Parts: sequence; structure tokens; C-alpha cells
Amino acid sequence: MSFYAWMLALHLLAAFAVAAALVLYSVLVVTGRRASAGLEQARLLFRVAPIATPLIAGGSVLVLIFGVILALKSDRFEIWNGWIIAGIVLWAILGAVGQRTGAYYEGVQKLAEGDGAASEQEVMARLRAPTGAILHLLTLTVFVLLILDMIFKPGE
Amino acid sequence: MTVLGVLRSHGYDLAVFVHVVGAMTLVGGLVTSAGAGLLGWRDPDGRLRRFAALTLFAVALPGWIVMRIGAEWAYSKSPWDDLPDKLQPTWLGIGYFLADIGGILLLIALVLAGIGVRKARSGGGAGLLKASTVVAAVLIAAYVVAVWAMGGKPS
Repeated sequence: MSFYAWMLALHLLAAFAVAAALVLYSVLVVTGRRASAGLEQARLLFRVAPIATPLIAGGSVLVLIFGVILALKSDRFEIWNGWIIAGIVLWAILGAVGQRTGAYYEGVQKLAEGDGAASEQEVMARLRAPTGAILHLLTLTVFVLLILDMIFKPGE
Repeated sequence: MTVLGVLRSHGYDLAVFVHVVGAMTLVGGLVTSAGAGLLGWRDPDGRLRRFAALTLFAVALPGWIVMRIGAEWAYSKSPWDDLPDKLQPTWLGIGYFLADIGGILLLIALVLAGIGVRKARSGGGAGLLKASTVVAAVLIAAYVVAVWAMGGKPS
């Protein structure tokens, strides 16, 4: 296998790591919003969430590094091609929106780790509030746009 | 039209998109399920193990179906469909083999999880749910190889 093929395989694996983290977060967001969910279930969900941290942190950095190497080494593409620039811009937006989403749920997690009925009510209210779900949906939308850009390569 | 032109046609791109989205959902569902199952391995109440089992049903299974439909669609739109079996590229064979073997393993994990969840209502089923977690973890390893083969396309 050539160097370029290895970079492509690693680029794809890094993208899958990011996707796996986003799917995990989606499962947690949907489960957390269910009417039957309580504080104990919320705490359970926050135990699962850290599985995604290395996947999204490592995956998002590596996908960019391998992507840039691919663009520089390719005979078919240049790094200034429109779809590659669009990919880098979408990657930056994904990071910004993802961080905002993460900060929202970190706040909810801190509340969930506290004691008392008042905090339980607030935790459940925040998990069911549209803010987190909308932010997560926005993150997913940007990721899907990124995948569409990488597959369709508009303007190529 | 060149082979490259056929490969880059938008019909093929859409099929690849469906295939990739299905595969990503499948891998994400497996990671969530195996991760939750391993975290809840020693938990006495087994809620994380049930969560892991339900994730297999609700996320990994639909992901596998979409991935497999996308694979067949992409194959039918690609020039490989017109070639005899012995001229098919190795990476395609690896992908098909792992997708299908993975499907059988996923089915086994789902059956184990289904019986495990049923038994969990009467306080049992922990062993079956743990076995389902182990199969999900094996599937993650298999699909990492599949993603590597699809990306690197070893000849």
C-alpha cells in the first residue's frame, strides 16, 4: 500500500472516530430528553459520555492533519480547491459548535453531580430544554455537510 | 467515459454517501453499546448493560441495514459490477466479507441482548448481556479493518 493510500485510510478512520463520538452523544441526548428519565439515569448517561472524549478530540485533529497531507500529496487536488477550503471551514465550524455543545452538557453534568431535589429538577429541565438538543443537531448538520463535501467534491 | 468518470458520477456519490452514513451509524452504535456494556460490567443493577443492549437494537442494527443497502447500491453503480469475480479488487472482497460476517455477528449479539434484557426483568441475564458486549467489541475491531480497507484500498 502506498503512502497516499495509508493517509487516506487513516483520514477515513479518524473521520469514523469523530462520527462514533457524535453517534454516542446523539444516543445520550435522545435518552436524556425522554420523559421517564430521572437524575439517576442522567448520572448514568454522564458516566458513558467520557468514552467519546478521546474519539472526538483525537479524531478531529487527526482527520485535519491527514486531510491536509492528502491535499498536499495528491496529483488530482490542490489545497486551495473550493471543496477542500469548504471542508476546512466546515471543520472549524464543527469544532466551534461542538465545543459550545460540550460546554452546555458539562454544566448540566456539574449540576447532576450535586445533591438535592432542586438540582434534580434543574438537571432534568436542562436535559429536556431545546438548547442542548439544538446545539447537538447543529453539530450533526455541520458534520453531515462535511461528509457530503468530502464525497461529492463540488467544483472538482 | 473513463472509469474515473464513472466513479465520480453523482449517482455513485449518493450511494457512497448512504453507505458511509450507515457505516458511521453502525460503528457509533457499536462503540456506544460496547462502551456502556464494559462500563457497567460489574454494576449490580445492570442498567448500563440494558442500555447497551437497547443501543444495539436502536442504532447499530439500522446502521448496518443502511450501510449494506448503500454498499449494494454503490456496487451496482460502479464499474466493478461488470467485471468477473476474479478481477474484483481485494479491498472490495474484504469489505463484503466483513460486512456480511459482521452482520451475522451483529445478529448473534442482538439475540443474546434480546434474551438478556428479557431475563434481566426477573434479575438474570447478566451473562448474556456481557456476551453481547464482547461480540459488539469484536465487531468494532472487524469494522476498523473494513474502514481501513475501504480507505486504503489494498489491491
